[in-house]
Amino acid sequence: MSTSNRQLHSAWGDWWTGTRNVELWWTLAWYDVVLRYRRSMLGPLWLTLSTGALLAGMGPLYAALFKIPIGTFFPHLTLGIIFWTFFTSTINDGCNVFINGAQYLKQPGFSPSVLVWRSLARNSLQLAHTIVLYLPVAIWAGIPPSPRMLLFLPGFVVVLVNLHAFTITLGILCARFRDIVQIVSSMLQLLMFLTPVFWFPSSLPGRSHAILYNPLAQLLDIVRLPLLGDAPAPGTIRFLMLFTVLNIAIAAAVYHVSRRHLVYWV
Amino acid sequence: MSHLLLDDVSVEYPIFGAQALSLKNTLTAAATGGRICREAGVTVVRALRDISLELREGDRLGIMGHNGAGKSTLLRVIAGVYPPTRGRIERTGTISSLIDPMLGIEMDATGYENIRLRGLIAGMRLSAIKAITPQIAEFSGLGDYLSIPVRTYSTGMLMRLAFSIATAVHTDILIMDEWMSVGDADFRVQAEERLREVIDNTGILVLASHQTDLIERECNRGIDLSHGAVVQDRPIGPIEPMIRLVSAG
Repeated sequence: MSTSNRQLHSAWGDWWTGTRNVELWWTLAWYDVVLRYRRSMLGPLWLTLSTGALLAGMGPLYAALFKIPIGTFFPHLTLGIIFWTFFTSTINDGCNVFINGAQYLKQPGFSPSVLVWRSLARNSLQLAHTIVLYLPVAIWAGIPPSPRMLLFLPGFVVVLVNLHAFTITLGILCARFRDIVQIVSSMLQLLMFLTPVFWFPSSLPGRSHAILYNPLAQLLDIVRLPLLGDAPAPGTIRFLMLFTVLNIAIAAAVYHVSRRHLVYWV
Repeated sequence: MSHLLLDDVSVEYPIFGAQALSLKNTLTAAATGGRICREAGVTVVRALRDISLELREGDRLGIMGHNGAGKSTLLRVIAGVYPPTRGRIERTGTISSLIDPMLGIEMDATGYENIRLRGLIAGMRLSAIKAITPQIAEFSGLGDYLSIPVRTYSTGMLMRLAFSIATAVHTDILIMDEWMSVGDADFRVQAEERLREVIDNTGILVLASHQTDLIERECNRGIDLSHGAVVQDRPIGPIEPMIRLVSAG
C-alpha cells in the first residue's frame, strides 16, 4: 500500500520518502540483528566475546612488538579494531545492499534509501555490542572522563554521513558491475595496513605521513581521539569537511543518474 | 478515488551478460576498442511498446498474453516499480500488489513478528499493523502457532499466514499476477471469500493471467499483449450484479 508514485518524485524526494520511514528500516535492522542470533545461546554477545578475545590476544603481543607501554597501546588498539570492523563491515554490506535487496525494490513504493538506512542501522547495532568493551579497557588504563569525549558525538555523525554516501555510491556501482564487490573488499584489506588501526601515526617516518590522508584514517581519528580524551587535529576536521562534501556530491550524482535504472539492474 | 493513466509508455531494459557485469571486462573492452572483449554482452529488451491505457474507478483490467509477452513488466510499471523509458504514467490512489506475499517473511521470526515485518514492507505504519493484528491472527486460524518461529510451520500454514497478511488491507488499486489460491480444502473456501471481498472493495483491479475464463469471470476489460504491445483491447460482459451489491454494502 502506498500513495507514492516513484516517477513523480525527484531523486531527493525519493531518498527522503525512505529516510523518513524510520519504523520500516529500524525494524528491518532490528530483526536482522535479533534473528541472526536467535538460535544461538549466547545471542548477540558472541560478537562482544569474539572481539574481546581478539583484543586480549593482540594487545600484549603487539605492545611488545612495537615496544609501546601497554597502558597507552591497549586503548588505542581497542578503539582501532572496534571502529575499523564497523567501517569495513558497513562498506562491505553497502556493496551488496541493492543486490540483496532486489526483491524489496520490486515492491510498490519501496524506496532504495530504506535499504541503505537498514544496513547502517544494523551495523550500528553491532557496533553497540563491541564498543562496550572499551569501558573496562578505559578504566583499566586510567583514562579520565573528560568533556572532550563529547566530541565523539559530532564525530560519529560525520562517520554516519560518509558511510551513508559510500553505501549509496558503492551499492549502485556494484549492482551494475558485480566485480566491484571483490575489488572493494580487497582494497579494504590493503587499507587496513595503511591506516593506523594497530600502529601509532607518530611512529611513521617523516615522508610517509601522506598515507594518513586516506579518508578512513581520518574518519577513524575523528571518533577514536575523543574517546581517548584528545581532540582531533584541525587538519583532520578541515580534510573531513572537504571530503564529506565531495562524498555526498558523488553519491547524489550517482543516485540521480542511476535511480531509474537501478531496479532494472538488480 | 482511483485513477491510472499510461500515456505511450515504453520500457526497454538492458540484460547484462557475465561479460558486461564485470567492470574489468567493460574497461578492457573500452580501452582496446573492443578488440580483446569483442562481445559486449548487453542485450536490450524492448519489454513494452507504446502502451496507452486509462483506468477509472470500477475498472477491472485483465492482461493476457504468452510467456514473455510483457504481462509482469506491465504490472510493475503500473505499480510504479519500473520507471518507463519513454512516455508517462500518472496514478491517484493507494496501490498494493498480491504478487510476492512471501517477501520479507523471516523464518526465524514468530508469526506475530512476521505480521509486523510484512505489514511494514507493504507500507503500513506500526500503529495500523497493531490494530489489525488480531483480525489477521483470527483469519489465519493459526492460534498459538503465531507465537513460535515460522520455520516450524508446514508449507500450508506458511501460505495461510502470508495470505492473511497480504489481504488484510484494502487499497484503491490492486495488482495480481494470476489468481492466488492457498492450501488445504478448509482454508481454500475461506481464502476465496476473503479474496472476493478484497477485490470487490478495490477501486481498480489489474489481473494478469494465462486463463481466459478467469479473466472473463473477473474483469470488465481485457487486453492481449504480444511482444510488449497491445494487440487487442476489448470490453468483457457486464459486471455480475452480486459484486455491485457487495461493494455497495
